[in-house]
Amino acid sequence: MSLRRWSVTLLAALVALVTIAPLIWMVSVSLMARGEAAQFPPPLWPTSPTLENYRLLFGSFGVGRFLLNSILISTLATGLALLFTIPAGYAFAKLRFKGRDATFRLLVAALVVPGQIGMLPLFLELKAMGLVNSYAGALVPWLAGIFGIFLVRQYCLSIPDEMLEAARIDGASEGQILRRIVLPVLAPIIVTLALYVFLSSWNDFMWPLIILADQDLYTLPVALAAHSRQNVQDYEIMMAGAVVTTLPVLILFLALQRYYLSELLTGSVKG
Amino acid sequence: MAGLSIKDARKHFGTTEVLKGVSIDVADGEFTVIVGPSGCGKSTLLRSVAGLEELTNGRIRIGDRDVTGLAPSERGIAMVFQSYALYPHLTVYENMAFALRIAKADKVAIDAAVRRAAAILNIEPLLDRKPAALSGGQRQRVAIGRAIVRQPQIFLFDEPLSNLDADLRVRMRYEFAELHRQLGTTTLYVTHDQVEAMTLADRIIVMRDGRIEQVGTPRELYARPANIFVAQFLGTPRMNILAATMAENGRATLAGGRSIALPSLTTPQPAGTPLSIGIRPEDIAIGEAPGALPFTISFIERLGGLATLHLGGREGEEPVACQLRDDGSLEEGDTVAASFASGHLHLFDSTGEVLETTGK
Ligand SMILES: Nc1ncnc2c1ncn2[C@@H]1O[C@H](COP(=O)(O)OP(=O)(O)OP(=O)(O)O)[C@@H](O)[C@H]1O
Ligand SMILES: [Mg+2]
Repeated sequence: MSLRRWSVTLLAALVALVTIAPLIWMVSVSLMARGEAAQFPPPLWPTSPTLENYRLLFGSFGVGRFLLNSILISTLATGLALLFTIPAGYAFAKLRFKGRDATFRLLVAALVVPGQIGMLPLFLELKAMGLVNSYAGALVPWLAGIFGIFLVRQYCLSIPDEMLEAARIDGASEGQILRRIVLPVLAPIIVTLALYVFLSSWNDFMWPLIILADQDLYTLPVALAAHSRQNVQDYEIMMAGAVVTTLPVLILFLALQRYYLSELLTGSVKG
Repeated sequence: MAGLSIKDARKHFGTTEVLKGVSIDVADGEFTVIVGPSGCGKSTLLRSVAGLEELTNGRIRIGDRDVTGLAPSERGIAMVFQSYALYPHLTVYENMAFALRIAKADKVAIDAAVRRAAAILNIEPLLDRKPAALSGGQRQRVAIGRAIVRQPQIFLFDEPLSNLDADLRVRMRYEFAELHRQLGTTTLYVTHDQVEAMTLADRIIVMRDGRIEQVGTPRELYARPANIFVAQFLGTPRMNILAATMAENGRATLAGGRSIALPSLTTPQPAGTPLSIGIRPEDIAIGEAPGALPFTISFIERLGGLATLHLGGREGEEPVACQLRDDGSLEEGDTVAASFASGHLHLFDSTGEVLETTGK
């Protein structure tokens, strides 16, 4: 191996280490006895690893409920987002209708407005609709993200018109074209988008905090934050909570990684 | 199977008129080729027949049905695109079966249709592959297979060979002819390659700028072009067009002052009328003969068996291309005698339309 390759490998390993070290320490602390992490200097490894923190977390703290809330909201958010975003993005790219480009430009312009600015009006709107303090209210912002529509549209633009026309000649309806031709071709970008929505909604803190008043409806981040406000010193339990929050999405991410970098359209069209 | 009839097709994109009143009749089973320069509206016309573009005006009939307002799938057509437009996530088999599956055809029938088409096109070993694993020529065959499977009344091809290399193009050209002989399906084939047009067509339609310039068999268009555009579009090297004026005694004077004998016109023209004289490079005879004119060879293109001589005229004359069997005896700078036999001349008036001559 050349020096150049060695140095690149070394650099990559270093970056990976820097990234992963906090995660490892998070797991490590979650296995320590109460108060152990508060010593100075903080220990790297637990002297006698224990699952006590997790027992407390799932027991008296009732993290199971919040975990379920998070899973429910993120799954629904992802499903609904895909349901609305994909057809919308496809339509903006490939279907001819009045005002298409003007509408799209307007949407893209709205991207520059920070989401936080929209939160108060949205809250008031949902209040009028009676959706405050409900799962439905927590889901609303995820339904049709502009970024998702934009992403799907950009990928749809690379689908050759002739392929869709061939399907039209073959007798496929617009719905069948979307399901049987466009969706499979878009698979990699759909996985990416799904991950993005799932992660964002999973990690989202502000909106569920605003819209959910009832403890029973709390998502993981909101519940953990509420707990840490009351028990500032509880590093070990907090870290166990952080592990419970991070682990599912980490696993999801790794499991799906082979999908998001695959090739999109090879072989349809010349070359 | 069925014929195709297009009546006064017009198509606007915004304010530009792309088809300016096109009428075509294609007989049942006929192989008709549409040729014309880039941008003349060939694809637009074909796509209108397919129902992918809506005509601004005009009607289209396929067989005894008026299909003008129908969806593409209801017209009984199949189309092969220049880019093939295969479905990348489906295997060759699934690509070919797609239309029948959409139509909810019986599984056994689908299988039979796909295998029959695959056999015709020699792509049976490829049925399980995805398009990405095929060569250009194989993709082309799959695209044709997809069309055959549907057993359309009319095949529409839009420059199907233009993405293939020269060798494969020649072979596929032969296969198209063979396929048509085998299936006998009415075919509308678009190309801007005049060799494809000449070799494949029962009839050629020459288009320019949204209009039809001439319709006829390859032989007719070659022998009796209706205007200078058609005359120069078909045949390589292109027909020579020389500016001239009518003189007395059925003769004309070329720019530069030489005089040549013309065939007799159906409608005689007065002396002094400007006209254009066309002669194909292969119709010019080299060698001493009565009436032959001396020319200097300014340049020779040797193609192996054939050579194209570029005969540089004298002061004020247009150069003339001449094609002949190459025996290697001629050199650039030589002077040769060239005869323009009156039977081979094509005469056009000042607007470029043909002047009819007797005895043709
Ligand atoms: N969707 C469209 N919108 C606007 N103009 C168009 C559209 N499609 C085609 N045109 C124009 O119509 C004219 C004819 O196009 P067409 O594709 O029919 O030409 P063609 O004869 O097939 O050319 P080529 O040999 O290059 O394929 C062109 O000038 C083209 O720019
Ligand atoms: Mg074209």
